Amino acid sequence: MNAAAAPWTLPDDWYPGTVPSNVCLSEPVYLGTSYSFHAYRSGASVGLRMGRGASLDKTVLDVGPAGRVILGECAFVSSARIMCDSEVEIGDFTLIGWSVVIMDSYRVPKDVAMRRQALERSAMTPDRQLEIAAEARPVRIGRNVWIGFEAVILPGVTIGEGGVIGARSVVVENVPPFSVVAGNPARVVRVLPR
Amino acid sequence: MSRTAEHQSLCWTPDQLPPNVRMGANSVITGNYLPGDHPFKRFRSRRQPAIVIGEGCMLNGLYFNMGEEARIEIGNYCHISEAFLLSELQIQIGNYVMVGWHTTLTDADFHPVSPDDRILDAIACSPLAHGQPRTGFARKPVIIEDDVWIGPNVTILKGVRIGEGAFIEPGSVVVRDVPPHARVLGNPAQVIGEI
Repeated sequence: MNAAAAPWTLPDDWYPGTVPSNVCLSEPVYLGTSYSFHAYRSGASVGLRMGRGASLDKTVLDVGPAGRVILGECAFVSSARIMCDSEVEIGDFTLIGWSVVIMDSYRVPKDVAMRRQALERSAMTPDRQLEIAAEARPVRIGRNVWIGFEAVILPGVTIGEGGVIGARSVVVENVPPFSVVAGNPARVVRVLPR
Repeated sequence: MSRTAEHQSLCWTPDQLPPNVRMGANSVITGNYLPGDHPFKRFRSRRQPAIVIGEGCMLNGLYFNMGEEARIEIGNYCHISEAFLLSELQIQIGNYVMVGWHTTLTDADFHPVSPDDRILDAIACSPLAHGQPRTGFARKPVIIEDDVWIGPNVTILKGVRIGEGAFIEPGSVVVRDVPPHARVLGNPAQVIGEI
C-alpha cells in the first residue's frame, strides 16, 4: 500500500477535482468521486487510508491540515459528512448510513469575538476555509458497528465493537461494545448477544 | 491542498443570479456542480428583493426553496454549508452566523394541520388541481440573531427566534425560542448550558 506521487483523477467522475496524493488505498476499494476531497486539506503523511474492500461515496471529508481518516476493511461509508482535525477511525466491517455526521472538532472558537475574527479572516482567503481554532478529540468507531442514517457522532466519542446507532441519534458519550443506542441525546436501549 | 481553481469555476457569478437577489461584495454562492440541481431550482419568490445577502459570506451548496411571498435576509460574514432554507414568509439571518451540513430552516408548515383541509390541499397540489387554489397553512418568521452557531443535521421550525451568540448542538430539533448565549441539544432541543 503506497501513497501516490501526485494527485490523480477518478474515471467517470462528475466533479472536476482530483484525489490527493496522501490518500492511501489497499486495492480493491471503491472510491466514488473526488467531490469527497473538495474541502480536504490534510497535510499528514496519510490523510485518508482505506483498507481492502472499503467503500466511500458521496461523502465529504472536511479534513484539516493535521487530520487523518482511517477506514477499515470492508467499511462502507455513503453520503456522510466527516469533519476531522485529529483522527477519525472507522473499524473493519462498519456500515455508515446516509447523511451521518462524524466530527472530532467544532473547529471554530466558542468565544464570539474570536469566531468573528476567524470568519473575517476566512472571507479574505480564496478557498474560504476556516482556520483550526478548537481542540480536536479523536473519534473511534469500532469494528462491526452499524450507524443509522442522519445520526451525529460528536467529538471524543468511542463506539465499541458490534454496536448499533439508531437513525437520527445524536451520540454525545461513549457507547459500550455490542450496545444498541437511540435518541437525541442517545441512550443505550438494548444489549446485543455476542 | 487548494480547491481554489476547480472551486471558483463552480461559483455563481452575480450575473447568473435571479434578478431579485442582491449579494454584497466578496460573498460567494457555490453549488453549480450538483447535476441537474442548484441553489435556485425551487426559487419562486416575486418579492423585490427576495434575497438580500451581505458581505463576505460563504454559502456553499445551499438550497433556496422559496414561495412567491418569501424573503430571506442573510447578514455579513456568514458561513453556511449545504443547508436547506424553506421559506413561504421570512427567514432573517444576522451577522457572523454559521450553519452546518444538512440543516433545515423553515418558516412554514407547507400544508394545513386540519385533516379535511389537508385533503383539499393534496388535491390542489396534484395534477387534478386545474388551477384550484391551495388552502392556507401556518407561517411565522424565523429569526436567527448575530453570532449564532448552528451545527449539522439541525432542524429549526417556524416562528423560532434564536438569540444572539446561541450555540445549537448538532442534530438538535429547535421548536421554540432559544435565549441569547444558550447552548441547546436534543429533540426537542433543551437548554443544556451557556456559552
